[in-house]
Amino acid sequence: MQQNQKTRTNMKKFHIFLFVLAFSQLNAQRILLLHPTAHIGNGQVVASAAIGIKNDRILFVKNSLTNNYAKEDWDTIIDCNGQHVYPSFVSANNILGLTEIDAVRATRDFNDVGVFNPHVRTQIAFNVESKVIETVRTNGVLLVQATPRGGWISGSSSIMKLSGWNWEDATVLADDGIHLYWPSNPKEYQTQLREIYQFFELSRAYAFDGKKQSTDLRLEAMKSCFTGQKRVYVHAQTVRQISDIIDFAANFKLKFPVIVGGNEAYLVGAKLRDSKIPVMLSRIHSLPTHEDDLTFLPFEIPALLKEQGISFCIQNQGDMQPMNTRNLPFQAGTTMAYGLSEEEALQSISLSVCKIIGIDKDYGSLEQGKKATFFVSKGPALEMSTNMLTHILVDGKFISTSNFQEQLYHKYQRKYRNQSAGH
Amino acid sequence: MKTPLFLLPLIYLCAFNLCAQFGPDNGLKNSEPSFILLQHATIMLKAGQTLQDADLLIADGKILKVGRNIRQDGAVQYDYSDRVLVPSFIELYTNVGLDPISVKNNNWRPQMESTKEGAYYWNETVHPELEAGADYKFNENQLTQLQQSGFGFALTHYHDGIVRGSAALVALGNKDIHKQLIAPIAAQAFSFSKGVSHQSYPSSQMGSIALLRQAFYDLKYYSANEMSLPFSVSLSAWQQLQKLPSIFKVEDKLEILRASKIAKEFNKEFIYIGAGNEYAIIDELTKAKTKVALPLTFPDAYDVNDPYLSREIPLSELKHWETAPSNPKLLIDAGLQIALTSFGLKNPAEFWSALRKSISRGLAPEDAMAALTSTPAEWLGINQQVGTLEVGKLASFSVFSADPFQYEAELLETWNLGQVRVWKSYNPNHILGTYLLHLPNKDYDLIISGSNDKPQAKVINSTGADTLKANATVSINDSDISIQFATLGASSRLIQLHGKLIKNGLLIEGEGTDENGVWFHWSAIQQKAQPSTLHKKIKSDTTQFGPIWHPNMAFGFVDQPKAQTTLFKNATVWTNEKEGIIKGADVLVVDGKIKQVSRQNLSAPSDAKIIDATGLHLTSGIIDEHSHIAISKGVNEGGQAISAEVSIGDVVNPDDIDIYRQLAGGVTAAQLLHGSANPIGGQSALIKLKWGCTADQMLIKGAPKFIKCALGENVKQSNWGDFNTVRFPQTRMGVEQVFYDGFYRAKAYQAEWDAFKSGKTNQVPRVDLELEVLSEILKSERFITCHSYVQSEINMLMHVADSMGFKINTFTHILEGYKVADKMHRHGVFGSTFSDWWAYKFEVNEAIPYNAALMTEQGVVVCINSDDAEMGRRLNQEAAKTIKYGGLSEQQAWKLVTLNPAKALHLDDQMGSIKSGKAADLVLWTDNPLSIKARVNLTMIDGVVYYEESKQKEVLEPMIAQERTRILTLMLAANQKGEPSKAPTKKTQKHYHCDTLGQDATESENTH
Repeated sequence: MQQNQKTRTNMKKFHIFLFVLAFSQLNAQRILLLHPTAHIGNGQVVASAAIGIKNDRILFVKNSLTNNYAKEDWDTIIDCNGQHVYPSFVSANNILGLTEIDAVRATRDFNDVGVFNPHVRTQIAFNVESKVIETVRTNGVLLVQATPRGGWISGSSSIMKLSGWNWEDATVLADDGIHLYWPSNPKEYQTQLREIYQFFELSRAYAFDGKKQSTDLRLEAMKSCFTGQKRVYVHAQTVRQISDIIDFAANFKLKFPVIVGGNEAYLVGAKLRDSKIPVMLSRIHSLPTHEDDLTFLPFEIPALLKEQGISFCIQNQGDMQPMNTRNLPFQAGTTMAYGLSEEEALQSISLSVCKIIGIDKDYGSLEQGKKATFFVSKGPALEMSTNMLTHILVDGKFISTSNFQEQLYHKYQRKYRNQSAGH
Repeated sequence: MKTPLFLLPLIYLCAFNLCAQFGPDNGLKNSEPSFILLQHATIMLKAGQTLQDADLLIADGKILKVGRNIRQDGAVQYDYSDRVLVPSFIELYTNVGLDPISVKNNNWRPQMESTKEGAYYWNETVHPELEAGADYKFNENQLTQLQQSGFGFALTHYHDGIVRGSAALVALGNKDIHKQLIAPIAAQAFSFSKGVSHQSYPSSQMGSIALLRQAFYDLKYYSANEMSLPFSVSLSAWQQLQKLPSIFKVEDKLEILRASKIAKEFNKEFIYIGAGNEYAIIDELTKAKTKVALPLTFPDAYDVNDPYLSREIPLSELKHWETAPSNPKLLIDAGLQIALTSFGLKNPAEFWSALRKSISRGLAPEDAMAALTSTPAEWLGINQQVGTLEVGKLASFSVFSADPFQYEAELLETWNLGQVRVWKSYNPNHILGTYLLHLPNKDYDLIISGSNDKPQAKVINSTGADTLKANATVSINDSDISIQFATLGASSRLIQLHGKLIKNGLLIEGEGTDENGVWFHWSAIQQKAQPSTLHKKIKSDTTQFGPIWHPNMAFGFVDQPKAQTTLFKNATVWTNEKEGIIKGADVLVVDGKIKQVSRQNLSAPSDAKIIDATGLHLTSGIIDEHSHIAISKGVNEGGQAISAEVSIGDVVNPDDIDIYRQLAGGVTAAQLLHGSANPIGGQSALIKLKWGCTADQMLIKGAPKFIKCALGENVKQSNWGDFNTVRFPQTRMGVEQVFYDGFYRAKAYQAEWDAFKSGKTNQVPRVDLELEVLSEILKSERFITCHSYVQSEINMLMHVADSMGFKINTFTHILEGYKVADKMHRHGVFGSTFSDWWAYKFEVNEAIPYNAALMTEQGVVVCINSDDAEMGRRLNQEAAKTIKYGGLSEQQAWKLVTLNPAKALHLDDQMGSIKSGKAADLVLWTDNPLSIKARVNLTMIDGVVYYEESKQKEVLEPMIAQERTRILTLMLAANQKGEPSKAPTKKTQKHYHCDTLGQDATESENTH
């Protein structure tokens, strides 16, 4: 356990944590966090909060100064005075858990052969024991949308917790959506568009065909894009693409279209707002697309979308994405210097993501009835110098705030200490 | 074009007095006229000197006399009145008459050695033995193209490789090839382009530069020691070319500056075949009086009817499109002598249109003429023979219907060494106008319009009751004309006329038939001539092109900013000195240096600009110890395991937008490093990010010398595919041996030179650029920055250095430095690392973000670097991570990106902290620079403000938008006029990474 945490408990003794960890499944656990600054995730802040948890859910988030709590009602009380509590950061559109070492082909499990692969599912390839995962959650990212790459439709993503024994119990939402990579080459654009329309026509017909004889796995995977909750995530950046995607979504009456990327979404403001299609914005820490763009344009795009009333969240697709997931809070943090408030920045990687991917009933904010998936940080978690986690809970269960990297750090610190002590 | 018509052998001349004919004639010997006299012509003797109604006397293929009223008995005489004689143009850059070079295919596996059989130079791209003159053949199509563009002479050579062998000066005729080869070995040719060679080396422009320099040194050495050295076909042939003019083909303006350095080093002069954007380096060109033959390949306009696509065209390309046709004029205006080349133009029509375009942009007709005739002749030293129509010169000229530099004249004939080739017969008749057509029983008005070649006609009778208005068909063949028309009305009549043009068409007379087949005599008299539309004057283009910015692209400066005395008032100053962070301090900048830092109020000198820095933080500029921005054509010379001879300093690209972007992130200086494709890479460039300045101005004067080395997966080529298993080394074992071998060879090399310098031997040793640099390392005159990951290789290299008696200066990346920090501290090496990168390849499996802190704890001086164009502009944030990972203090963290890299680069005497006397490389931040909320308010280098946040939206964004719109409007007009155009393409900006191979940057993931 963390040596530096200032935990007070109403029940005595250190083995309280052992108890919590070992038996939380068996007995109703009641945990109370007192006095942190609670960043709810929906824009609100409770300055000195009391957060009550029973088993895996949040009982309440209240003001600790105006409410009284009986110590004996709680198995664990943690004093978080001076600290900050945040809902889990959520990393959408990520290959985390699907690859371990980028350059080693044997570890790359996110891109299969084929053009239309909606049936290919990330859920079952998700490696809960990935070493990268433990370095990511220690910065506050506890949920990920494991997303396939490649082809025009790369496959179906799933929403996964970054803690679990296997993919089954790490799953929050299986097959939440398919990922369509919109054509971008102007020369072949119209032809490719036609092929995509054709595939969707075919899929829609299949979805509503009550008398079909055989099972087509491809089309089966598309079915609930038309009949159910399955999202259609369309990866695209430019004005032309976005404009065409809006028409495409309307044409097929898609219930949950999402634009992923959307560098130029701010230029299609009105149409996009009217369409109510949300945008999962590209990595903030990117260079501008055009030589002539203002150098800080990528930092500013969230604010530009906010001004136009477009719903958006931030994701971090790009170079070395898995390991870079731990910088998601700082991607959001950077927007604080370019037009978003601290709470808006937070929202862009918590509640807004959960709304878009369809898990906001259970996740995304510190609200009554939601899953207790959040963390405590010594200081503001969107700042590099103060993002220091003291407690992490996933569905009410504490997980380690350390990782193998910190352990290596301490190992070699000890080595040098022993050397200078003459060992 | 019509099939050319040959007047041979009517006019068949031997070009030279001494042209002995070695082969036999078939049949009887042909007779030739001794003299040809062209009379009453307009003769453009040379640029700026034209004779009217003049005669030209040709004998033996040369000009015997030129002037008024020349008489010569026994001459064949021709009337050339109304025609203009222009000296044949000289093409400096062509491969006319030469077949393409082919090489052996190597199946894409790395080819380390030359595949050429024979005693040639070791590298295929250096082939001075190529001899264009020996291989020259007639190529009818190419000849026609050049002749129709007005060219009568060409310097032809193989367009392949870096050292391209000799060029031949040929006359562009197609009879008697012996005579056409005026000077079979007239010049030698060079470029930086590797050409068709598959040999791995060189794979970058800096490699080409190094190879060319080494080849020049080898030539020198070979010449001095020819008798004792093994024979080299290449060097032996090359020796013979040394007194000849040298032409150098470039792909970009910057290559001229790069090649000029080589010219200076070897005391040579190159005639450059330009790239078309020379206007952007006019100052440098005029200073050196550089000779450039400018291309006329102006970029086509983009189709701008689709706003989505127009967006993708960067302002840099818009501005180049607008300015390119003015390139010749701008250079002339700057006092330079220029030549012009037709290279790259598809056909004569394109040539004439481009030439006229540059004239319309203000290139004076006489300058255009000189640039195609006398100037290239002078440059090649052949102005005694060609370039003007003066007595004694070769009788090669073109005949036009008018002065082609002022009018859209037609090319009628090409004279080559006294032989004529006719493209179009001269038609002296002016038949356009109104005639009175006199038929036996009636007069009509005959109106001939259109052109002399394709006339149209109408016949009208407006008198009396029998009105007629009929279209007539007209055809003209020399002075024969035939006209047919039908009269209308109840009694339709078909009239067919045939006649002869008399007095150039003033009168037409002949016979005709009517509908009854009755023959009659007819005549027509010209009443009113229509002014000729043949010779359209070249219109001057009134387009006012925009100013040339520095650099000529978005965010370029209209006027380069200057250093200004500046007083920062009331700032929070991060000194990086023992004073630490001072609140409410003043900092005075004078003459580009920090003059004073004070807690007290400083009074401002009268010329000072005062900046109220209340609430702002002032720091010294960020120094990026590991950067790959601002590099042209290749970051890696991966062709060999050791490429110490190459230098990033040779290929700094000052026009890279990433320079400006880094300024916006507070970076003021950077080490531009060679990549990590091989164990000993190339020399670094240490630059200040002085946007708008030249590459030379950016290079830090007197900076210490650095070189990049590398270890691990990249140098082993582990992640580069299964075909990359040829080059040694493929293991860490091999890497060690490459270092030892290199340094042992360098020791031996140094000993050889020491012996020579101390007089122990007279034998001048060979200059080896690679070993020269390795010797500098051994002598601690050059410092190593070594890309490294795992502890085994880190320790290995320290052992190598220790055993060779020098120190490794810096380990970069150094992701397992935390495991060996004690050893690093003992060795005295700097550590320059990433804040938190890992998991991108196997060797970073144990990379930890606590690395910087743990190395710092053990006394290693640590830097945080970028190695990434995007991260380079957020190094303040990266530094802040060391507070999170390992608990460094704010001041310690800040030094990781400022003072510590200054120390690692041995530049801390002049930068890295805010201290009186150091360079005013300063950044003003809106917040604590380690905070995620901090933005750069202003960036200053040497007292010059290069970036101001406040200007971005208020000034620059609208300025860029307006400039774009202005030029797009011009492009739209060009589109509407039907000028040639091309579709815009979406350009993704590409970057160099550590492991990027070849000359092209990449969009692929950065794997460092």
